[in-house]
Amino acid sequence: MDAVWSGLALGAVYALVALGYHIVFVSSNAFNFAHAQLIMLGTFIVYWGSVTLKLPIGLVFLLAAAIVGGVAVLEERTAIRIVRGTEGQLVTTLGFATLLNGATQVIWGGSPLQVPFFGSSNVLVVLGGHVFPDDLILMGVAVVLTIGFVLVSRMTVLGIALLAVSEDREAALMRGINVRALGIGAFAVSGIVAGLLGPLIGPKTFAVATLGSDLALKGFVAMAIGGFGSAPGALIGGFAVGLIESEAGRYLGASYSNLMIFAVLLGVLLLRPTGLFGHARERMV
Amino acid sequence: MDVLSVARRIPTWLLPLIAAVIVIAFPYLGAQSPVQRQVILICSLALLVSGLNLSLGYAGELALGQAAIYACGAYMTGYLGSHGYTDIVLQLACAIAAALVIGLVTGIPGLRLGGWALAMVSFFLVLLVPDILQLFANQTGGAQGLTGIASPSLLGKTLTPNGFYVFATTVTALWLLVLRNLVTSRHGTAFRVLRENPVLASSVGISVFRMKLSAYAIGAVPAGIAGCIFANLDQYLSPDSFGFALAVSILAASVLGGSASIYGAVVGAVILTLGPLESTSFQQYSLVVYGLLLLVGGIVLSIGIAGVLQRVWARVQRRWLPPARSAPYEGDLLPRTEGTALSVDHLVKSFGGVNALQDVSLVAQPGQVTALIGPNGSGKTTLLNLICGYYRIDGGTISVGKEQTTHRPYRIARSGVARTFQTPSIPREITVAEAVRAGRYATQRAGFVPAVLRLPSYRRARASDVEEARRVLALVGLADQENEIAASMPLGTRRLLEVARCVIARPKVLLLDEPASGLDENEVERLAGLIRKISDSGGTVVLVEHNFRLVLSVADQIYVLARGQIIAEGPPSVIEVHPEVLTEYLGVRVPEADDLLRTPSEVADND
Repeated sequence: MDAVWSGLALGAVYALVALGYHIVFVSSNAFNFAHAQLIMLGTFIVYWGSVTLKLPIGLVFLLAAAIVGGVAVLEERTAIRIVRGTEGQLVTTLGFATLLNGATQVIWGGSPLQVPFFGSSNVLVVLGGHVFPDDLILMGVAVVLTIGFVLVSRMTVLGIALLAVSEDREAALMRGINVRALGIGAFAVSGIVAGLLGPLIGPKTFAVATLGSDLALKGFVAMAIGGFGSAPGALIGGFAVGLIESEAGRYLGASYSNLMIFAVLLGVLLLRPTGLFGHARERMV
Repeated sequence: MDVLSVARRIPTWLLPLIAAVIVIAFPYLGAQSPVQRQVILICSLALLVSGLNLSLGYAGELALGQAAIYACGAYMTGYLGSHGYTDIVLQLACAIAAALVIGLVTGIPGLRLGGWALAMVSFFLVLLVPDILQLFANQTGGAQGLTGIASPSLLGKTLTPNGFYVFATTVTALWLLVLRNLVTSRHGTAFRVLRENPVLASSVGISVFRMKLSAYAIGAVPAGIAGCIFANLDQYLSPDSFGFALAVSILAASVLGGSASIYGAVVGAVILTLGPLESTSFQQYSLVVYGLLLLVGGIVLSIGIAGVLQRVWARVQRRWLPPARSAPYEGDLLPRTEGTALSVDHLVKSFGGVNALQDVSLVAQPGQVTALIGPNGSGKTTLLNLICGYYRIDGGTISVGKEQTTHRPYRIARSGVARTFQTPSIPREITVAEAVRAGRYATQRAGFVPAVLRLPSYRRARASDVEEARRVLALVGLADQENEIAASMPLGTRRLLEVARCVIARPKVLLLDEPASGLDENEVERLAGLIRKISDSGGTVVLVEHNFRLVLSVADQIYVLARGQIIAEGPPSVIEVHPEVLTEYLGVRVPEADDLLRTPSEVADND
């Protein structure tokens, strides 16, 4: 049960990354390669705020949300808005991700930094397994955010506008939807959420400059398993990846966990390219 | 003027050839081993970048796995070298084979989704390198690295450092030659068509998936070669050499040099290898710099340094060295066309709750123009897309001749169905003649190998491509523009160009999707004449059009579609006065329409 809990906790982090991809994908039809780096940046900001500056936790949350949100908006302006075409955006968002990797390494160095958890660090026993309170909170947040996003996209005008934009950008524009504002808003929201998650994710993963690439891949696999364009898919995919990673690590050895995830990714792409919850769309001419 | 005519006769491959010979001869011109080492490193990086360029620049798919494939080739060579198999040709062959396997295994699932899926799958591969090396620690040395690689040998003799240098640079030059021959052939045009628009590619019979897979798999070959060279350079391998930073630097070199270019790979590799990035004081900023390069390169220099040079050269050529005009085409402009009947039987298609087509049947005969008219949203383009296989059929059948069509667009195109698009789809940076020749890609096949080796079969295919393009360009009246950049032509010309691209394939069925929209009166007249000529020569033409006068003047048989159903059919004389058609389509209210509605043919239709 311990391995299950740790897998689910890891999975929650991956699901949160996948959800970030999802929000941006739905609203600007772009794949933000750098979203995992934004989360990584959040953990560094939290380290800086709580260890270096010794700020109270409330301010740390605000600081992380403001800085990461700002960086995300900057990314939208430089790597998305002025670049046309999917390959172009893939290159520029990858460039932005590399830039964040390099910048955090220059500022904070290459070794992992321990980020303190603001709550209790006493191990709890739940359903016969040991689990940290932080892990439980992460799982809760992942589930709540997914439900929240689904509710917003189903129940509100904003959600319907988002759907319209992802369906057909030009048609949405002609119906009077401010596509640009939605695009930048999506980046801002995904950045702010990434920042707010910093104090939760940091204690679990440490603040380290290689975190971004790792999270980016696992988040992507989560999305591929769940299906592109499905928020619940991202959540379930994330948990699945976390479980595979921890179970493979436990039974086969640590160097097999990434290989197993890769094998599952190849399997999903070969057998069910749309993922578990995705829908195939017919091409238009 | 004499200088110009001499300059025009210098072949474009002369300069790269001279450069390659000089670089290969460096050791005999006095270059010491540090210089040789730098050149070999440039060669490895240039090989890696050239592989990426094939998939990114030509096929339009971002792949980041070159670093992992490079590692695979290097460790394959290192393993052989440390077990007594020092023959470098054997090592090279094994490294290439291993690279191809990895390329295919990761390319197939990644390309199923395309776009980010391939980028991510290949990126994942790079991050797996240390894990895999650790798993095979006995063979690879794991994290400690692989030592004890013996010096390479050639034909039983151990290679001297100079000998190895000459081998490495020669192999690189040969690979660049292979690539150059590939992308300047019809396959290069096919890659550009694919990158511009996959739908267009499948409409000329290119299998999108296979073509992308070929680009990605062929792109793995140079990575394997580079691995073989690298393993023999230091005779020591460590997992650190094949990480994320390498993957990003390959991409940065590609973007900087120009992804859609062969020599751009060399330019990018030279800059990244000799530039300030590799000095130790810059080492810690390297990721920041790579990131900025990608960001700026992606925005500003979308064509890279080589792309800029190519454009300048193209301008110089057009101004001072215009290619010689080919003589006017003499011969039969339109030999007999073997048209085949197209029949659509009880076709049904719905999108969600919308019934786009309900029980639509029609027949288009060879030697006739069959027009399809109807208001916007009546299902005309949906019908064309079903015929071409872009949508799955919900019910009913479509047959070309006696054969029922599949749902694979490229197969349908190969079986002889050609089409134009409502918005002309013309790849960038290619000439009018090349754009037209793309139409022959699938119907007149010629493989990769003949193209790379420039075999007689390739030369024959090429000559007939050129000849045919001259024929159809003369037919549509664009012979004068054959060397212009196709995408820069006015709309009317681009529409005629699309028709030419279809005609060159000698299609059994020709589908024209609103060819007259946006044309002026003269152009419409020219188009009408052209359509008539094609059908008179025996072709089967299906014309979807809003221009009622054009339809009445060229069509033999007209089908009227409204709300997904055929409401009338007949020759122009019948349709012209058909009351329901006038009501539905032209918005004319004929007072006595109700009385006239009950013509015998109409009753039969509604049954």
